[in-house]
Amino acid sequence: MSYFFQLVVSGIVVGSIYALSALGFVLIYKSSRVLNIAHGQIIAAGAFITYALTVFVGIHIVLSFLLSMVITFFLAMSVERVFLRRLIGEPIISVIMVTIGLMSIIDGIIYMTPFGAENFSFPEFLPKTPISFMGISMSWTQMVGVLITFTMIGAFTWFFKASTVGISMRAVSDDQFASMSIGISVPKVFGLAWATAGLSAAAAGGIIGNITGLNFYVLHSFGIIVFPVVIVGGLDSIFGAIVAGIIMGLIQQFASGYLDGHWGLYGTADVLPYIILLIILLFKPHGLFGIHEIERV
Amino acid sequence: MSESRWLATGNFFTSYKTEQRIFLTHIDRLVFICFLAVLFAWPLIIEVGNKYMLVIDSILIAIIAVYGLNLLTGFAGLISIGHAAFVGVGAYTLATFARTLGGDHILLTHYWPLMIIVAGLVGAVIGGIVGLPSLRLKHLYLVIATLSFQMIFQWFINFSKFYDQGQTIAIGRVFWFTGKVGRRDHYFFWYYVILVIVVILGFAVRNLLRSKHGRCLVAVRDNDRAADAMGMHPGFTKVYAFALAGFFAGVAGALHAYLWRGVGFESFLLHHSISYLAMAIVGGLGTLVGALVGPAAILILELQVESLAEFVGHYFTAVGDVATAFRPLSFGLVIVLFLMFEPRGIANWWRMVRSYFKLWPFRY
Repeated sequence: MSYFFQLVVSGIVVGSIYALSALGFVLIYKSSRVLNIAHGQIIAAGAFITYALTVFVGIHIVLSFLLSMVITFFLAMSVERVFLRRLIGEPIISVIMVTIGLMSIIDGIIYMTPFGAENFSFPEFLPKTPISFMGISMSWTQMVGVLITFTMIGAFTWFFKASTVGISMRAVSDDQFASMSIGISVPKVFGLAWATAGLSAAAAGGIIGNITGLNFYVLHSFGIIVFPVVIVGGLDSIFGAIVAGIIMGLIQQFASGYLDGHWGLYGTADVLPYIILLIILLFKPHGLFGIHEIERV
Repeated sequence: MSESRWLATGNFFTSYKTEQRIFLTHIDRLVFICFLAVLFAWPLIIEVGNKYMLVIDSILIAIIAVYGLNLLTGFAGLISIGHAAFVGVGAYTLATFARTLGGDHILLTHYWPLMIIVAGLVGAVIGGIVGLPSLRLKHLYLVIATLSFQMIFQWFINFSKFYDQGQTIAIGRVFWFTGKVGRRDHYFFWYYVILVIVVILGFAVRNLLRSKHGRCLVAVRDNDRAADAMGMHPGFTKVYAFALAGFFAGVAGALHAYLWRGVGFESFLLHHSISYLAMAIVGGLGTLVGALVGPAAILILELQVESLAEFVGHYFTAVGDVATAFRPLSFGLVIVLFLMFEPRGIANWWRMVRSYFKLWPFRY
């Protein structure tokens, strides 16, 4: 039984990081209806910036974590400004293809740095002894990661519910023309959506980097797992992203805990999310919490 | 009309039938025939090494795959970032036969045209299955469906004992009327085979787009409600587009397997899907010329980038792996720059050149 609870705990840890990763994706989709294929690369960039600041520059890890969030905020904003601003009004299909191109470009840039090929791990700054409770153990890094994740998710929820900027972003996602007519600058909101997405991606990257170590392949796969998470949660629902993230984390942990090694199956955790994604797309395309207004064919 | 069919300086169509002709003027047809003749004749005259012949063969195979992607993304308006997986389905169809019957089985070596068609059909079926969500969804979601198919395919091959965990599965040398195709003639032989298939499928695509079965793709892309009102089922049309793309990809995959004389997992990864997409975009989405030009442009670019990376690698050894870095970097840049500045691709340049000569000496 404790094995089961151990899986539940690690599922929730992984799942909450998925939720944080998916948050940025949902932000961009909500405001501009663009599927940002390059999200995983932004996560990786955030993690690598945190590492570079901590180890190569020598800033304290907490400070560099915050600083990398700020840097990625402006980085994502400039990506939007340079590449996507001039595509406003173009068909959405070409905007999505631009993000596919961006994914390739950021891949290339990361391969040029030492991070592309080698593994790094953050210096330990938390106590090494894991927290144990009734036979279930959890490392301090995981604990802090989950706490940061939930704080950030809470902050974002407040931001969208209460702050003027957040409300204007929601207005833009609802109806661009109407929000323009009441004086919201739509391009600015797009920029801000990308910037906040970058910020949350950097946070997610920093946490993943601390928990699993820095490996470009792993970080990149966190960007791809975002797709099943957002589809299951419903593409435009932040709450849905959180719930689906945790569901996905649990499913992956249970799959690798109970399925692997039986019936000749291996690595099921890597494939199950995508199978679920296809099934959800077939039978419940607006996901668990998505708005039902998705246009049918 | 008949005397002006040699030179056309404008549109003088009096019926839809004349407008839908493949070759508008006799000169068009003549140029095309000459071009084909050159394509068929040059290997007999010029001696090229196997290395370059392999590149040319790969370009031709990529053209077949991009025909399919172009139908899907260009004409039906559905982005696919799993096209390499569909190509892989074709290749692994052959691998299935090779694993069950042995790589030198008579079915693989003697009846290879049949095998190519079978691979195409399997690709079409799998493509249709992946496209099934389009019965309920609009195009945005299908990007994710194709991406997840890519991931499922990679996992399936990677963890399957039957396919040797993605290691190369050998496929024997094929037989022609003159006997076994030897090592020296291998690329030469496949050049002609693939060229013939490219021409046949090119005409097939062109004819498809002249008929209602192809025009319905464009209709659904441009306005699915209007298409629905005209009596087409948008969902089925999209599934059909996926099946078509899967067919072309499957044929390309089978040819890939025969050309490399084996099927390996590492030729059908996510970044190959992205290079197929780059080929379609650079060539020009929604044009047949684009499907021909794009693969050539991208694969030549890839060669240039490789030699550039080698050159740069000598000087900047401290920087990470330059060779692996330059490939995605250049592909991404090409995709983004073309979408930003020339969304209609190289095919548009071709169109401009043609209209210049058509109207010469007048400007318009």
